[in-house]
Amino acid sequence: MRQNWWKILSVIIIAGTIFGGLLAPIYPGIESVQPSRIDAGELIVMQIKGYNTHFAEENDLPRVWLKLDDENALGATQVMARNERQLRVSFYIPKSFPDSQQVSSLSLVIDSKKDGTSVLPGAIFVRHAGNPDQTELLLWKKDPIVHLNKRSFYGFPYRNILVETIRNTFFHIPMWFGMILLFAGSVFYSYRYMRSERIEDDMRAVSLIHVGILFGVMGLVTGMIWAQYTWGKFWSWDVKQNVSAITLLIYFALIILRSSFNDEERRARLSAGYNIFAFVLMIPLIFVVPRLTDSLHPGNGGNPALGGEDMDHTMRMIFYPAIIGWTLLGVWISQIIYRFFRVRERILN
Amino acid sequence: MIKKLNLTMLAFFSLIATSVCQETSQDFLRSTGKIYVVVAVIAVIFFMLIGFLVYLERRISKLEKNS
Repeated sequence: MRQNWWKILSVIIIAGTIFGGLLAPIYPGIESVQPSRIDAGELIVMQIKGYNTHFAEENDLPRVWLKLDDENALGATQVMARNERQLRVSFYIPKSFPDSQQVSSLSLVIDSKKDGTSVLPGAIFVRHAGNPDQTELLLWKKDPIVHLNKRSFYGFPYRNILVETIRNTFFHIPMWFGMILLFAGSVFYSYRYMRSERIEDDMRAVSLIHVGILFGVMGLVTGMIWAQYTWGKFWSWDVKQNVSAITLLIYFALIILRSSFNDEERRARLSAGYNIFAFVLMIPLIFVVPRLTDSLHPGNGGNPALGGEDMDHTMRMIFYPAIIGWTLLGVWISQIIYRFFRVRERILN
Repeated sequence: MIKKLNLTMLAFFSLIATSVCQETSQDFLRSTGKIYVVVAVIAVIFFMLIGFLVYLERRISKLEKNS
């Protein structure tokens, strides 16, 4: 039992990930806004649709603003909650804007005690009036956005389009981290084999590669499911989808190559070299290439940082342990495969 | 076989997910917001892991029988 503590740990972490990842609510957010385009100098009535919101809460009518920037915002002239998720808000859009653009985009800010603050950036586009009225410039400073409420409960950020699927962060992404860590482990054993020429090291390396490939395939398939409901297609020839598929093909080729050998020692020697090469190839493919071009994936196509996905600290609390838990599960499976190789070796000899 | 299972599950869940999406735009009380996509992802991982364990089980049993 003392040797198996990490297996129990992995099951506990994964169970915790599934429960925490599914039970925590998505924070209240703004789903849609109508109309989305207007002209300056008009009185408009906006229909706002919320998600997990409580607009009809007693004594907690939301305060609503249209924000231009940190210094300029318009307070709503009238707010009415039709039900918990629908709000009807009136605004007067002044004829004058503090900047000299032709079109401005305004963000919608909603704040209440129960739901905290929700923002929809770029909620509405305003075409500037041909006849600006300087006296109306003051309207931008009349109702500043102040005394915002903070949420007191634990939940995950609301993201347009994603909504509940943001929870996939705890399942789809750790598959890839797991694959990379398992392949790194296999490189360690491949290197060991090159020094020691002990067949056990080759067996350990291959068992880790098998599980790495399994995790990679699971990452790819779950990514395709997620993509279908986020980007509209199972496969978009997105750069990260492409390089992930290429990586898997490289490792599939290694497995197939191994099966063409009869001599155990030659097979092990070639596998060790190929494995190290494949890993060295994978690193720039998966980490560097997607950041160089346009990509649908978050964290790529000009956006910085590994793990710089749209994540709150609330999500990171589950996400980082999840990586450890799933990876430990992978190590457990690879250990079973290794023991299978050992027993087969013993029986055949 | 696993591939067929995955495909049937995909078809099944995509059917549920699309009907759920249409419902939320009119039905404000049940805010399900594509939760079934998460369920599908977890189900895929679970069934693939089980499938792999079954595959391992068969190979080890064959080995034990042959010895």
